Amino acid sequence: MPMYNFKKITVVPTAKDMINIMLSKTQRKTPTVIHKHYKISRIRSFYMRKVRFTQQNFHERLSLIIQEFPKLENVHPFYADLMNTLYDKDHYKIALGQINQARHLIDNVGKEYVRLLKFGDSLYRCKLLKKAALGRMVTIMKKQASNLVYLEQIRQHLSRLPTIDPYTRTVILCGFPNVGKSSFLNKITRADVEVHSYAFTTKSLYVGHTDYKYLRWQIIDTPGVLDHPLEERNIIEMQAITALAHLRAAILYFIDVSERCGYSIEQQIKLYENIKPLFMNKPLMVVCNKTDIVPLSELSQENKEALSIFEKHSVPILSMSTMTDEGIMEVKQTACDSLLTYRIENKVHAKKIDNILNRLHLAVPQERDGKERPPFIPEKVIEKRQHENLLTIKRILEKELEEQLGDDYILDLKKNYDLSDEYKYDKIPEFWEGHNVADFIDPAIFKKLEELEQEEKLREEAGFYSVPKLEIDETLMEIRSLARKIRERKSIMRQESRIVKQSCKPVIPRTAPARVRERSVSNFRNKMEDLGVSMEGTDNAHFTRTRGRVRSLSVSSGKSRSASRPVKKIKIDMENRSASRSQSRPPRNESGIKDIIMKNKLKKVAHKAIAKKVKKQGLKGEADRFIGVKKPKHLFSGKRGIGKTSRR
Amino acid sequence: MAVRVQFENNNEIGVFSKLTNTYCLVAIGGSETFYSVFESELLDTIPVVHISVAGCRIIGRLCVGNRHGLLVPNSTTDTELQHIRNSLPDTVKIQRIEERLSALGNVIACNDYVALVHPDLDKETEEILTDTLKVECFRQTIASEQLVGSYSALSNQGGIVHPQTSTNELDELSSLLQIPLVAGTINRGSGHIGSGMVVNDWSAFCGMDTTSTEISVIESVFKLGEAQPSYITTKIRSSLIDRWVVYCI
Repeated sequence: MPMYNFKKITVVPTAKDMINIMLSKTQRKTPTVIHKHYKISRIRSFYMRKVRFTQQNFHERLSLIIQEFPKLENVHPFYADLMNTLYDKDHYKIALGQINQARHLIDNVGKEYVRLLKFGDSLYRCKLLKKAALGRMVTIMKKQASNLVYLEQIRQHLSRLPTIDPYTRTVILCGFPNVGKSSFLNKITRADVEVHSYAFTTKSLYVGHTDYKYLRWQIIDTPGVLDHPLEERNIIEMQAITALAHLRAAILYFIDVSERCGYSIEQQIKLYENIKPLFMNKPLMVVCNKTDIVPLSELSQENKEALSIFEKHSVPILSMSTMTDEGIMEVKQTACDSLLTYRIENKVHAKKIDNILNRLHLAVPQERDGKERPPFIPEKVIEKRQHENLLTIKRILEKELEEQLGDDYILDLKKNYDLSDEYKYDKIPEFWEGHNVADFIDPAIFKKLEELEQEEKLREEAGFYSVPKLEIDETLMEIRSLARKIRERKSIMRQESRIVKQSCKPVIPRTAPARVRERSVSNFRNKMEDLGVSMEGTDNAHFTRTRGRVRSLSVSSGKSRSASRPVKKIKIDMENRSASRSQSRPPRNESGIKDIIMKNKLKKVAHKAIAKKVKKQGLKGEADRFIGVKKPKHLFSGKRGIGKTSRR
Repeated sequence: MAVRVQFENNNEIGVFSKLTNTYCLVAIGGSETFYSVFESELLDTIPVVHISVAGCRIIGRLCVGNRHGLLVPNSTTDTELQHIRNSLPDTVKIQRIEERLSALGNVIACNDYVALVHPDLDKETEEILTDTLKVECFRQTIASEQLVGSYSALSNQGGIVHPQTSTNELDELSSLLQIPLVAGTINRGSGHIGSGMVVNDWSAFCGMDTTSTEISVIESVFKLGEAQPSYITTKIRSSLIDRWVVYCI
């Protein structure tokens, strides 16, 4: 369904503004620098571009105007006729036609001068041609000044027209001026139309909307109509006539029974007779207004008879008072109901309803089995429904809480848990030690726990866990004290050995002589005697047969020390020796070495270690300390950046 | 009364919520506006619970339930399941089921007594349905649409189905379900009834776009307030015709 919205038509500028807009646009959006020594083709295209650009802009702008204004042939007849009455159809059409003509002329000027510019032979001539072209376009626009002003006025007026949908459910209020049409509109809608006690307060159509039977109803308030021939009617009245003529709507004909509007009932009925052709084929009602002043029952006999003419035409007469609100709702409902039945009849008649028939069908179930299937509505809901008016305690909604707390709000998912407060907020990890906690959730855990506890209790009662008491006698006490001593001694020894180990790292200074063993036969003897062991008769004991330390290199291993000659040594007077004289030291590979076996062993170890290093680094031998390139060129030449000298 | 709501500017509220006679599930959204609508209407009578299913907000389409129980798809995580269990009363059985058609809300439509299911649903699922939700199952299509859950909304008092369901089909479905049925629309003419609204025996919620005529149909067929299903053929019939048939005169 086409919706009529005339509020979005763009503003039509005056001729002067339009010219300024276009010329400044050309200036802004085309190149501006050209010199006479440029190639002629470049100069020509420079000016051709300007001419063409201006022509295109004019064309677009004028097309927009022509396009956006409604065409009288295409809009609903109601709007076409309304626009005819308000703006004069001929004038409107001519204005749009002339704009179209101007567009055509400008196009032609543009084309012509572009052609001429092709033959321009200097910058000066080209420039003049351009100037002439733009000048002619501007002249054409100047001639349209009055049309543009007229169209702008129409645009403004159109945008203020009420948005009337000619297809929807509509109720039209009509009658003489000052009979209370606008008051009625104000009562049933929120249109807030101006109401005064003089005639022709309403000078144009007004629209209000009201709801009834789940539908939206459009109520149109028309200006008052006087009783004279159509030709003599003014624009204000003609608007009402247009609405009556073209809109398929329910019509409420208002009659002021108090005659306060300045027209007698007779005159009002006469007007009705005159404009009756407009009401043909439409639901019509006569509304007697202002009954608070003169009730229908108190009317004079003549007037009553005059009103009875409506009954003859089977037009319902309703009475109401916009002053006391009496009968207003009845009028609205009757009007809406009759229009609805009228529309439905039409639709059913036109067989448009067939494709929605299924949606109007209520399928009622057939009995399938004897089962009852009652609805499940909690008691609380029914109670609440019955005491709806009672004030209930208002809870704080989450939304309100969220608004109060602002950024600090955190959604509390556990708040409404169906659990006791004691462990509602207990934290349960999702995974624990690589296990999914949920896999181990046991619904019967409490039952099992209880069973276990019971079992445990039974065991306890049976004395399963009671420890038998030990009786301590003297021997046991002795054993224990001894054991304690042993333990103490052990721990002391452990600590001592630890300390000794720490301080006895195998660091041997070069000057250090070979270590002399503390353990000796005499030492042993003394110690044992201290402890009170008699060492008599042990001369031939096994421990006395020891081997003394030998100078490994000079003494053959077979001989005992006692048998060999003592080795000669140079006696040195330690005090007198000068510092310059070298000391006789054992060679490096022999210092700190006990005997030949150890020496051989160490030699082997050293050889292995060297071989390993040589093999690993691909060296020639132990002494190989080859460095391939001493100062590689790439590391020592060129500019230095911000990096370090060693890393480039 | 039917209440109009929106979930973060989206009118498909049946996607983001699930309503039954004993509980109401609501998706966890960006703000609490949506939740509070349900909260203010229902929290006096039934628990209204924030949940997610498989980390998704489309809970209404993923799970199915009635007052006896709730079925959630296989993809529901253990934590989510535990959260649901903690929040719902013990009378409601909760079951996680292995089903290829995992959007259970789309493939199953049910009230407290009868369920319509997608023709391709697993046999086992059907058995679980009968046990957990205590319903009779019927394999059906609605207006030759297999996703019965998305094209219908049912309560114990009435139901709305896809607008193109024929009169005969309506009668047949109504006899199966033993409730009055109408073909209708939601959200200004949408046929996705199940995703456009949620309903239980005493309240209904629908998308913000739902027109007043659509609401009047909902209220009368679900017997909300004083309305009766028969109103559709009597009292409001003319309004419906005038609203639905356009381009006349």
